[in-house]
Amino acid sequence: MGRTVLKVDNLKMWYKTKMGYVRAVDGISFELKEGESLGIVGESGCGKTSVSMTILRLLPENAEFKGGHIFFDDGNGSVDLVSLPEDEMRKYRWKGISMIFQAAMNSLNPVYKVGDQIVEAMLNHFPDMSIDEAREKVAQLFQLVGLDPKRMDQYPHQYSGGMKQRAIIAMALSCDPKLIIADEPTTALDVIVQDRILKEMKKIQQKLNMAMIYISHDIAVIAEVSDKIAVMYAGKFVEFADSVTIFKNPAHPYTYGLMHAFPSVVGPKTELTTIPGEPPNLLNPPKGCRFAPRCPLATDECREREPEYREIEPGHWLACHHPIERGKEVKFDEK
Amino acid sequence: MKSDDIVLRIENLRKLFPAERKIFGKVKLFVHAVDGVSYEIKRGESLALVGESGCGKTTTGKILVGLYEPTSGRVIMEGQDVTPYLFENQKGAERYIKEQYLEKFKNPPSLTDDFDKNMYDLYEKFGKNDSKFINHFLKDRKKKMIEIRRKVQMIFQDPYESLNPRMTIFDIVAEPLNIHDIGTAKEREDMVAQLLEEVGLSPAETFMFRFPHELSGGQRQRVAIARALILNPSFVVADEPTSMLDVSIRTGIMKLMMRLAQEHGMSYLYITHDLAVARYMANRIVVMYLGKVVEMGDIEEVLQHPLHPYTKALLAAIPVPDPEYKRGEPDIKGSVAKPINPPPRCRFYDRCPLAGRECEKLPHPDLIEISKDHWVACHVVTGEVKGK
Ligand SMILES: Nc1ncnc2c1ncn2[C@@H]1O[C@H](COP(=O)(O)OP(=O)(O)OP(=O)(O)O)[C@@H](O)[C@H]1O
Ligand SMILES: Nc1ncnc2c1ncn2[C@@H]1O[C@H](COP(=O)(O)OP(=O)(O)OP(=O)(O)O)[C@@H](O)[C@H]1O
Ligand code: SF4
Ligand code: SF4
Ligand SMILES: [Mg+2]
Ligand SMILES: [Mg+2]
Repeated sequence: MGRTVLKVDNLKMWYKTKMGYVRAVDGISFELKEGESLGIVGESGCGKTSVSMTILRLLPENAEFKGGHIFFDDGNGSVDLVSLPEDEMRKYRWKGISMIFQAAMNSLNPVYKVGDQIVEAMLNHFPDMSIDEAREKVAQLFQLVGLDPKRMDQYPHQYSGGMKQRAIIAMALSCDPKLIIADEPTTALDVIVQDRILKEMKKIQQKLNMAMIYISHDIAVIAEVSDKIAVMYAGKFVEFADSVTIFKNPAHPYTYGLMHAFPSVVGPKTELTTIPGEPPNLLNPPKGCRFAPRCPLATDECREREPEYREIEPGHWLACHHPIERGKEVKFDEK
Repeated sequence: MKSDDIVLRIENLRKLFPAERKIFGKVKLFVHAVDGVSYEIKRGESLALVGESGCGKTTTGKILVGLYEPTSGRVIMEGQDVTPYLFENQKGAERYIKEQYLEKFKNPPSLTDDFDKNMYDLYEKFGKNDSKFINHFLKDRKKKMIEIRRKVQMIFQDPYESLNPRMTIFDIVAEPLNIHDIGTAKEREDMVAQLLEEVGLSPAETFMFRFPHELSGGQRQRVAIARALILNPSFVVADEPTSMLDVSIRTGIMKLMMRLAQEHGMSYLYITHDLAVARYMANRIVVMYLGKVVEMGDIEEVLQHPLHPYTKALLAAIPVPDPEYKRGEPDIKGSVAKPINPPPRCRFYDRCPLAGRECEKLPHPDLIEISKDHWVACHVVTGEVKGK
């Protein structure tokens, strides 16, 4: 097994608002090795983007760091990003950890040629590089993501949505990151375009032996790209395991519900599960287990005491008082 | 209620949008958003309309509710030609009747595919008098327009945009009742309350006097559904009603819509780009590509045995929620073009892996029924020409 690239330990980041704290990242831990891809799934507002922004330390003013560690190892030894001053941290962004932001398609600057924008980003991080070297590298990256290098000298408006997204991926790869965080990079794209981008990302990630965190609310997409899956609910990871375990033997009732809520075009047409109610407000999350108000297995214990996030078998982490046994069915009370 | 009762039939429907602006001279470039499509929907049946972004799904829906005027073609609702009532002003309706009927009825009548014998009989009944014929359609035009707007409703994709932020939930849901002047104040309140309960906004009193921003996305979409159903429509165009919603909430809305369709005997035109969702929401499917129908039929049949190369590619591109499933490779070239003045040949030609040499010269293929309720438009699949 390879080197551990990222080790996140009990990470907490809350947003301060007039009404109180929004507990968007509320005690998250996980590890990621080189060449591994982790998918984070969860509903809108559960904190997926906040986790990645906390790791990159790109946070808005009202964000308050509330504790934890982010150990990152780019091959030159592990450092805790949390304790780095901002100018040191800047060296790790793009070069160590790079990111494809949610809705990044629209983040290309319309007045500059696409190729120039990537060259510029590279020269910022590699001051010794010549423009020709940088252009040569961008041409290679274009080929890698399936864009014609001739298009380097075009402007963003001459690109389709899918092409822009490829350019963004090329940019994210331009500084040879050890870890890439992709936040919903294909949402809003047509399936055929999405299919190509997913495959290319997976291929590149394996070829360059990068670690990848892939964020999506679509479990089918996550199933395609991830070796491991973290299921996030209301600011916390509730389950973490290899993707086959998450899909075939989920132990957390929320994971179970999610897995059965997705329609598929293949296989027999099965009943879809509806999880009643809605995700909690992160301003005043319920005490005890945050899923309890929607959980068919909830007991008084669940409502009183928060379940501990623990390793129930090697590589399988869970926060639940009453894990689902293998092969057992769970019925949700639907309304 | 007969099961084969046809609620809606569209015939050769077209909608062109000008693709250039001209101060002098005629516009020559047009977006062929919907380019001669025909299909029908039976009572109580749901038809899924699928295809990539820009293929003409929303445009079709908007024509059916009178938000866009058709360029040509007919919309038949419960056996009646309602097309004249989809035009905002009388002139448009008149032009339609002339082009659709009168011009074809001139001696000798042109017996084209869309020649309507019943209408011709009617024309003869009026002594072949053009203005009497036209007047037959236009005399109670306003009333008919209102009637159609009542029978056909549309639910939009974005529950954040489609509800007026300054109105209470009660006012939003009751508005169609006011417009159509139905019921007393008390009756309206009861109807709204009952429907809110039915769509799962319960207890209704706690929702009625809130504003949209005080509701979640899922709750807003329930409000939009209630509003669409308050007039008891026979037909609902649902334009990606769940695509903006979270998974755990999405299935709830899908099931709600299915249940309401059954209870109210409604039919849906369910627009989505997600074939998996289509499979759960519809009995039949229409696959569109650049303004044309390329394949249609019974949904399980089409998904199990796709025939058109585009449908095949679309299906192969869909991620499957199973990490052990090995998906095939979608066989398709390039990316979607904009449908501006497309050449007459098959719309899919530039991306088609099957295209034979003759495909380039032949016109766009007709939809042909290959087996019971399975239609495909492809010269090669129908065996007319040899493919690669
Ligand atoms: N700057 C901010 N101030 C206050 N609250 C915020 C801020 N940014 C995000 N939040 C809240 O924090 C929570 C987590 O947001 P985040 O964007 O991380 O969710 P997400 O899981 O990425 O959702 P989505 O799937 O919609 O992108 C949400 O409840 C959100 O409303
Ligand atoms: N009002 C309009 N004026 C000009 N062109 C339009 C107008 N509305 C739609 N179009 C064009 O018509 C074509 C079909 O658009 P339509 O909105 O029906 O697509 P769609 O299938 O609903 O796509 P999506 O999945 O993105 O919603 C597109 O090329 C679009 O740009
Ligand atoms: S801890 Fe209890 S309430 Fe929470 S998920 Fe487990 S069973 Fe459900
Ligand atoms: S008609 Fe020819 S070009 Fe069109 S889909 Fe069939 S094989 Fe392809
Ligand atoms: Mg996000
Ligand atoms: Mg649309």
